[in-house]
Amino acid sequence: MLRPYSPRLLLLLPTVTYRTVAFVEAARRLGVDVTVASERPSTFERANPTGLVTLDFADPAHAAVQARTFAYAHPVHGIVAVDDDTAVVAAAIAQELGLRGNPIAAAAAARDKHQQRQLLAAAGVAVPRFELRTIAADPERLAHGASYPCVLKPLRLSASRGVVRADDPPGFVAAFRRIKAILEQPDLAECGDWAGHVLVEEFVPGREVAVEGLVTQGSLRVLAMFDKPDPLDGPFFEETIYVTPSRLTRTAQEDIAACAQAAVRALGLREGPIHAEIRHNDRAAWLIELAARPIGGRCSGALRFGNGGSGLGAGMSLEELIIRHALGMELPTVEREHQASGVMMIPVPGAGVLREVRGVDAAQAVPLVEEVVITMHHGQMLVPWPEGSRYPGFIFARGDTSEAVEAALRAAHARLEFLTEPAD
Amino acid sequence: MSAEVRITAEPIDNGRCKFLVSEPVHAGGVRRFASPDEARGSPLAEAIFAIPGADVSEVIVSGNLVTVVKRNPAPWPAVGKAVGQAIRVALAAGLPAVASKPAAAGSATADDVLYERVADLFESQVNPMVARHGGRVELIDVQDAVVMVRMAGGCQGCGMADVTLRQGIEAMLQQHVPEVKGIVDITDHTAGSNPYFAAAKK
Repeated sequence: MLRPYSPRLLLLLPTVTYRTVAFVEAARRLGVDVTVASERPSTFERANPTGLVTLDFADPAHAAVQARTFAYAHPVHGIVAVDDDTAVVAAAIAQELGLRGNPIAAAAAARDKHQQRQLLAAAGVAVPRFELRTIAADPERLAHGASYPCVLKPLRLSASRGVVRADDPPGFVAAFRRIKAILEQPDLAECGDWAGHVLVEEFVPGREVAVEGLVTQGSLRVLAMFDKPDPLDGPFFEETIYVTPSRLTRTAQEDIAACAQAAVRALGLREGPIHAEIRHNDRAAWLIELAARPIGGRCSGALRFGNGGSGLGAGMSLEELIIRHALGMELPTVEREHQASGVMMIPVPGAGVLREVRGVDAAQAVPLVEEVVITMHHGQMLVPWPEGSRYPGFIFARGDTSEAVEAALRAAHARLEFLTEPAD
Repeated sequence: MSAEVRITAEPIDNGRCKFLVSEPVHAGGVRRFASPDEARGSPLAEAIFAIPGADVSEVIVSGNLVTVVKRNPAPWPAVGKAVGQAIRVALAAGLPAVASKPAAAGSATADDVLYERVADLFESQVNPMVARHGGRVELIDVQDAVVMVRMAGGCQGCGMADVTLRQGIEAMLQQHVPEVKGIVDITDHTAGSNPYFAAAKK
């Protein structure tokens, strides 16, 4: 008997992503055939050559050639990337195979904070004033020419790794040296020219929100707007709480959505998910960063689409929505559920080797808390920001109001205790 | 039994959630229940199938792990708390929460045959493959043609464990033992101390 037609999704999953289960299980629920592509070979690749493939994520052009070879034998109908680097690879493959996707230049610009700033500024999108500096420069000399307060950041690292605020020249020098040390680590120093530079930009005060959106033919649909109730004023920029819906005024939210749409247009993004960080103050909505990928970590668990019942689309995950879009399938809904929802990226409590986490049950018992996930393993190193980029876990809550959700997240976090030992 | 039973919920997705219990729920291997009828005589499974509005389709109990599958697309909180309550009540009763696996009937014999074939596949192909990443996959049981596995070593807590499960093991089962209807991972991945690929926020 002939098997019913099922489109094939090429899912680009770096081996260090948190997103594996969410995307693989979403694809299964949709009944699509999945090929998982990673940068390192699976031990099952020979046993399942249609379901697993290794692509050169470090070289998008090469990956596109590899994908074309694969697609000759196993036609591909859609492609999904989950992080900044694979977003560029996905764009190259989409162009090669004629799939729905972004132009390569647009995805590349979204990945690089300096290129992004240049394009946005040229298009009139409000961005902080910025300058590109080489890490070989003399920081004391640079510090005298800088305006304060300012923020120093690497061009590509994610999760605010290496992002430091400086309020004066000594602070600038200290921040510069700290970022330089991060960028000179062996795993980064080999990554290319970007690791030899630092972006120095004006610190923009204001309330920060995260925008989750889906772009179709260049037009942005805002799927969710998350408030970040903990002020991100530095010196480091470790994320904590995201809560949606936003409590900003309707006008402020419209300004933010317009800013995100203008940034999408300026970068030339055409298709797929975006995640943007935007600050809002009495002067404007300021585009801090926009990535051509969905929200990171486990945070997508805070998003559900459709309301009630058991009809098509009820309780749909962000990953299902993204896969449907990539394959050109019907989108039953893009309306977020009616309930308020939030996630806390659990802050790193301090440097050390994780030995035990206490209070998880007590945290889960807090009303409105749905889940407490500890993602770090015992024996793993906890590294605080700005050098670190891994949260020890995530807390999720849902409730009638954003205020109640935020309070539940804080109450749950207060019940957690992390026991660590100094590293050898 | 200790005074406080601690239960950690670990949703896999909207339909499936693992509940890790601080003490054993069922020491006699794995029991899988695919309907309320099958759950009769096992108080915990009966109680979970009876949770109003959850539309539970499957309960799997093994050691200190209870896996629940539901059809209702709503998120887990309400159902999860009811499952936790059912587990606490079942343990507090002081009686077996889950009855032992019934002695061989027709379907059990078929499962036994499948078990042998799957075990052969695991020994000859699956485990040599995952061993290259320091991993191991243990065949726990086959019930109603559903295979239950537990991952260890480099697989336990690995960021790519679900890819190994779905694109590797499940695909091999479809090819070599097509009578298998599904595969369930009953691993406590949060306890993995040496995953081959550790995840980071991206």
